[in-house]
Amino acid sequence: MTEIWRLIDMRIENAPTQMAIDESIAYARTRGETPNTIRLYGWNPSAVSIGYFQSLEKEVNLEECERQGVDVIRRITGGGAVFHDYNGEITYSIATPEDDPKMPRDILASYELICGAIVDGLGTLGVDCEFKPVNDIIAGGRKISGNSQTRRHGVMLQHGTVLVDSDLRKMFQVLRVSDAKISDKMIEAVEDRVTNIRRYLEREVSFDEVRAALITGFEETFDVTLEPGELTSYEEDLVKSYRERYRSREWVHKR
Amino acid sequence: MGRAEYKVPGGKLLAAETEIEDGVLVKVKVTGDFFMHPETAIEDLEAVLTGIMVDDLEAEVIRFFEGREVTLYGSSPEDF
Repeated sequence: MTEIWRLIDMRIENAPTQMAIDESIAYARTRGETPNTIRLYGWNPSAVSIGYFQSLEKEVNLEECERQGVDVIRRITGGGAVFHDYNGEITYSIATPEDDPKMPRDILASYELICGAIVDGLGTLGVDCEFKPVNDIIAGGRKISGNSQTRRHGVMLQHGTVLVDSDLRKMFQVLRVSDAKISDKMIEAVEDRVTNIRRYLEREVSFDEVRAALITGFEETFDVTLEPGELTSYEEDLVKSYRERYRSREWVHKR
Repeated sequence: MGRAEYKVPGGKLLAAETEIEDGVLVKVKVTGDFFMHPETAIEDLEAVLTGIMVDDLEAEVIRFFEGREVTLYGSSPEDF
């Protein structure tokens, strides 16, 4: 019989809540309070998430975020800045024990395996992509997904973005790619480096298609059945407490 | 306040903001899009480096990584 993991499917929340949910699941998993879990989710309002170690002001155009109503959050995971476009992006997360038989202990190997699930899933849509170390997935030489992982208290948590139809122009207005003023010429250069599924396939792509593809990718890669579920009340309580930290100026402006 | 940036081959950014008085590192903040487990080790590293002589920086950084269970992914202690 195939192993069952929990799927929390397309719960749409604001940035502090999404980050609090991922951390809550990881912590609950540590305590044996919850099963291995995969989440697919969206951010409302749209938000920029930055890596744990990143300098907020160097990476994010805060004025532009304010102007466009884009939220800003610091993750507990390292890595780079991501624009989570409510209309154009699906985020996933996966939490398992570090010593789960299906999860490599080695960090690179675990990135490879998890990103491989995304690659396989997107492959079913016709997106020919590959994992590019350290933590990207690229299609046609351009980034289509960014991923970041943490390990704490014996649990591996990885989350990442899958660009479905993200507004790439807006992405580079809210992210500081360089101090130079964003010109059309620069946008072109940036569009050479990043893409999304719609642009790659040159057709309309629904969130539903992408989420189904990702579920297939995860189920096949990990040989599990993903069973839709909800957070436990234990996790929901943790979310309420963690969310306050993620909201705090002290956390967001930490670096 | 000084700022130095270094791109690890493969693309990760390591930046350090430092304040130096009379050869002593009085303030240091390390930022970038690298990965370090546990993440909070960065605060330990900054604490260890604050107050040391600038000339001892390299040795102290190496000693830090040798002395505890810190895993870097996508960069190495030498990059720091």
